[in-house]
Amino acid sequence: MTLFEFLARRFAWSLGVVWAVVSIAFVVNVLIPGDAARLVAGPQARPADVVHIREQLGLDRPPLVQYARFWARLVHVGPRERPRERPRERGGDHTSCAVAIPLGRAAVHVDFGKSFQMRQPVVDVIAERLPRTLALALAGMLLQLVFGAATGVLAATYRGTWIDRGLVGMSLLGVSAPTFLIALVLQLVLARELRWLPLDGYGTTLGEHALCLVLPATTLGIYGAAYYTRLVRDEMITLLAADWVRTARAKGLSASRVVLRHALRNALMPVVTAAGLDFGALMGGAIVTETVFRWPGLGQLSVNAMLNRDSPVVSACVIVTSAAIVASNVVVDLLYGQLDPRVRDARAGGTR
Amino acid sequence: MRSIPGRRSARGSAVAGIATGTSMAALVAMLVGCRAELAPPIPTASSRDTEARRGGTLHLASMADIRGLDPAGPADGLSGAAMHLIFAGLVDFDEHGRILPDLADHWELADAGTTYRFVLREGVRMHDGEELTAADVKRSMERALHPSSPDPNASYFDGIAGYAAYASGRAEHLDGVVVEGRYVVSFRLSQPDATFLSVLALLSPRPVCKTGGDRYVDTWLPCGAGPFKLLAGRWQRGASLRLERHDGYFRAGLPYLDAVEWTYNEQPLAQRFGFEAGEVDLLREMTQADQTRFASDARWRPFGTRDADVSLYGEAMNTRVPPFDNVEVRRAVAAAIDREHYRLLKPGYVTPLTQPIPRDIPGHDPDLPCQRYDHAAALEHMRLAGLPYDPATGLGGWPKPIEYLLYDKGLPVWTAQVLKQELASIGLRIELRLVSFPAFLAIQQRPGGAAMSLGSWSMDYPDPSSFFEPLFTSGAIGAESSSNAAFFSNLRFDDLVARAHRELDAERRRTLYDEASSILCDEAPWAFTFSYHWFEERQAYVRGPVFNAVWIVDPTRTWLDRAGSPAGSTLGSSSVGSGR
Repeated sequence: MTLFEFLARRFAWSLGVVWAVVSIAFVVNVLIPGDAARLVAGPQARPADVVHIREQLGLDRPPLVQYARFWARLVHVGPRERPRERPRERGGDHTSCAVAIPLGRAAVHVDFGKSFQMRQPVVDVIAERLPRTLALALAGMLLQLVFGAATGVLAATYRGTWIDRGLVGMSLLGVSAPTFLIALVLQLVLARELRWLPLDGYGTTLGEHALCLVLPATTLGIYGAAYYTRLVRDEMITLLAADWVRTARAKGLSASRVVLRHALRNALMPVVTAAGLDFGALMGGAIVTETVFRWPGLGQLSVNAMLNRDSPVVSACVIVTSAAIVASNVVVDLLYGQLDPRVRDARAGGTR
Repeated sequence: MRSIPGRRSARGSAVAGIATGTSMAALVAMLVGCRAELAPPIPTASSRDTEARRGGTLHLASMADIRGLDPAGPADGLSGAAMHLIFAGLVDFDEHGRILPDLADHWELADAGTTYRFVLREGVRMHDGEELTAADVKRSMERALHPSSPDPNASYFDGIAGYAAYASGRAEHLDGVVVEGRYVVSFRLSQPDATFLSVLALLSPRPVCKTGGDRYVDTWLPCGAGPFKLLAGRWQRGASLRLERHDGYFRAGLPYLDAVEWTYNEQPLAQRFGFEAGEVDLLREMTQADQTRFASDARWRPFGTRDADVSLYGEAMNTRVPPFDNVEVRRAVAAAIDREHYRLLKPGYVTPLTQPIPRDIPGHDPDLPCQRYDHAAALEHMRLAGLPYDPATGLGGWPKPIEYLLYDKGLPVWTAQVLKQELASIGLRIELRLVSFPAFLAIQQRPGGAAMSLGSWSMDYPDPSSFFEPLFTSGAIGAESSSNAAFFSNLRFDDLVARAHRELDAERRRTLYDEASSILCDEAPWAFTFSYHWFEERQAYVRGPVFNAVWIVDPTRTWLDRAGSPAGSTLGSSSVGSGR
């Protein structure tokens, strides 16, 4: 199987996964009690106004019609430029679309609809929030892996010593401590007492964004690093006791080369698997961390959307999250091949 | 095979973990503990009798976020606080909720109370520099009430002549709003309406700039004639909003502030940190512990304010569902609840209430003999209902458990526990059904959805009609979305409330509402329990009136008198979406 075939298969499989997840989300949204029109109008709005808003949002139509309209609108062909104002006559409203692929004078559009609550095109909301969540997820993941791998290798190398016990103890604490507690401690110490970093928020300039990212990313880093410490430590202990490592040492390789070049590389296989899944989950939004630090990402957005029964936003968040998980799994599969030649060969249909 | 960490290692790591955990906990305790003591108020620059002066930015924060800033679109209490600063109305509410002229210079009532004729102030400049005219008033009204508009309050104006035809798209214009001159506009009503001025002071009908057009669009930059204006890029959804001083505001010299800035989605603890550091100037959303600290601290006491009691809480009993279809059972519930127990749950915020009109709403009568706690009387009502209960043996009462619907947020979860015990003492066993707020609304507002549920309501405007009409009249019952959660229907009550709505004489109107109140007290569709008020703290340097009974805050006449410069920039900055 060529790489192209592999990716094509994975892409087709991803479409099926995304369709299934969005459909489940849609069914759940229909089944659970809660009236989106009432929530838009407000808890004290009069029944006549709620009915009016229900009609405006198309929620008076049968669920199957709403479902069909969602998919029909999701990918369609429209004008090359996105109009700013909706036409006065009915139909042909492309104001909530994102132009995905230009095709001459026309274009393929992606349209999640408009948010019931924010009354903004959902594609705009997602486009605004996705990079923020991506930044937080990447920074958090990076810290988790760097801290986790470093402390895991150290703990395994110095197994049974006070270094090992100390690092394992800290990882136990990190795993046990909920993120909000870690966040609170960081806020208290680094923002409130020492005033080194902003307490929360997102800022307006690139520099402010970076500064505001430090605490939430560190929170995720501490929380996740603990898990990777234990994972890497256990793997490394197994590998360092293996015959081929003893052989490598007997050949005169330096200790650092044996540990970092040979053992650690092999220890990374389960780490990559776990990291792939974790990264996908983080792309869905680190809800607690985003809330505590007022980081305006997808997590906060999806929770609010779910609470407000804002189904266009919920569906979009589900699509983005499931696509991120699928994509990160594909990346993990590709990395397997890079880390372990046996996997690459097996995928190519050959043997070693 | 994976190696399994040895026993020694595991024990060692556990010990290390405990040690590290203990030190971390100690660190947190030390940090929190040393801050349990409140920082002192930030000093003022001058003595209290100094004259107001211009400049500065008032910083506010909230846990919630706003939904929109267009008066013709969906809004909430928090967005109302900002919108009333952007959009001035013909009339407005003062800090106590009384109606006063705003864009209108004066008005007169004609045609037996069915025509309100407003004469506008001349020379009022809107944020785009254009002068406000009567045509703008009519255009803005039509924009808000047009069928394409998502205004959730449109039906409040159904008393304007021609509303039905216009709202259904059958008429091009709203006939009841008539431009009679450049500065004169009339509202013709289908019948006299004592609440019309209050309704007119709400946000929907407030004049918008010509840039707002004659139809609502989602992308419009809000623009009105209020004391503050919104500039492009100054509203970051989910994060912050900054309003700048409108230099052309029609009240000369006002506002004093250069800007007002809100931070949204801010947790209460972070708000308190910011407040003590002088980066948030008013503190409203605080924990119970912090409220107690501020209220009992002599340094802070002069700057604490108790908000008005304008909300109503109670236990709504579905009058169509057994056992509450029996009025004696409802009376028993109303007599079985000791409201003082509710107050003790949140003493700084809860005012016990035994009648349908909260304390700070006109029409509240402190001497009204309404519901009151009397356990013996409650048992007697149970006996009259045919459900005698003996507290000594626990025998009798209603044989089945009764489902009590509530949502999973804050105070209601606690009051439900008290209610459960109070009702058990008269032979009514309730089972709590805790659901999310959307589910709560969906179930409660459907006939037969809940036998008993938490009742709560905040005024839309300070008037008894804002409580009686949506909560207890037959007209508020529908197939879905019934705001009358008790599904209470009483023709006499309906008639009294409808007459009071039309009655323009204050004294006669009050008499009608007194009689309507008496019916509610006796028939007990709700057991009225308490009203909720907020406790607000301001920094000493925040001068002038700042709180408002309807809009929460109104900093039009607020000014800042702060000594020195703001605290370090690490925690905050004046820019929108600051790092704070």
